[in-house]
Amino acid sequence: MQTVPAGDVRTDTDQSVAPDRPWLVIVWNDPINLMSFVTFVFQKLFGYSKEKATKLMMDVHVKGRAVVSSGTRDRAELDVYRLHEHGLWATMEQSG
Amino acid sequence: MSFTSPIRRRRDGRYAVRLSPQVRALLGSLAEQMIPMIDSDDPAATRLFPPAYVGTHTSEAEQQYRELVDGALHSHHHHAVQVLTETVTADSLSADELAGWLSAIGSMRLVIGTRLDVSEGMVDPAPGDPSEPEHAVFHLLGVLQGTIIDVLGAELPDDGQPASAR
Repeated sequence: MQTVPAGDVRTDTDQSVAPDRPWLVIVWNDPINLMSFVTFVFQKLFGYSKEKATKLMMDVHVKGRAVVSSGTRDRAELDVYRLHEHGLWATMEQSG
Repeated sequence: MSFTSPIRRRRDGRYAVRLSPQVRALLGSLAEQMIPMIDSDDPAATRLFPPAYVGTHTSEAEQQYRELVDGALHSHHHHAVQVLTETVTADSLSADELAGWLSAIGSMRLVIGTRLDVSEGMVDPAPGDPSEPEHAVFHLLGVLQGTIIDVLGAELPDDGQPASAR
């Protein structure tokens, strides 16, 4: 995936409303990162089991994206940052 | 069949590195090229700084995110490349140094892969194609990255860790 992901499904127009809705951290498929690396990063950053990390990686690979964590906006932003440190294509959006 | 991984964990907790001088020289050269690349506005380098927010009505949030993290993200990438540069001839690495190698090699793959516009299922270029050497480098970096992941991944518990350990 070489362009900005176009799959943003959020429909609200103001993210400052409804602060109680959790933020979702999404990892998008990209053709560069190895599948084994993506699985490794999910295990390392989130403490997921190998089975769960592998399933999330396959979701990313097959479906194009997967929600890998959720929480407060600050928590989501930190997770996105840690994923960016590892070169993964991560974004965040408020669940709708 | 006897096969020794080029990178393996030693009993003392350090990681033995067995790579040819040619591969080490290549890694050193790539690391040197990465330093100015990280701070450039080269389209391939922007892959190291992905957007956190996509879609409409998010430009303000994205700007805030960039202001918050870009300094740290630049430092992170520079530090990794620096670790690789300083240890590229070493026979063994600490865990932190190996993490630096993994990060630097990953960044190089992102930059080179973006420049080559790699896609899934892409076939290798024909012999003599001008992009052949860079494809070969991209492939080599992938093998190295895979080797490091095999070593470090084996140390992670298969059943995961409690969230409190994050």
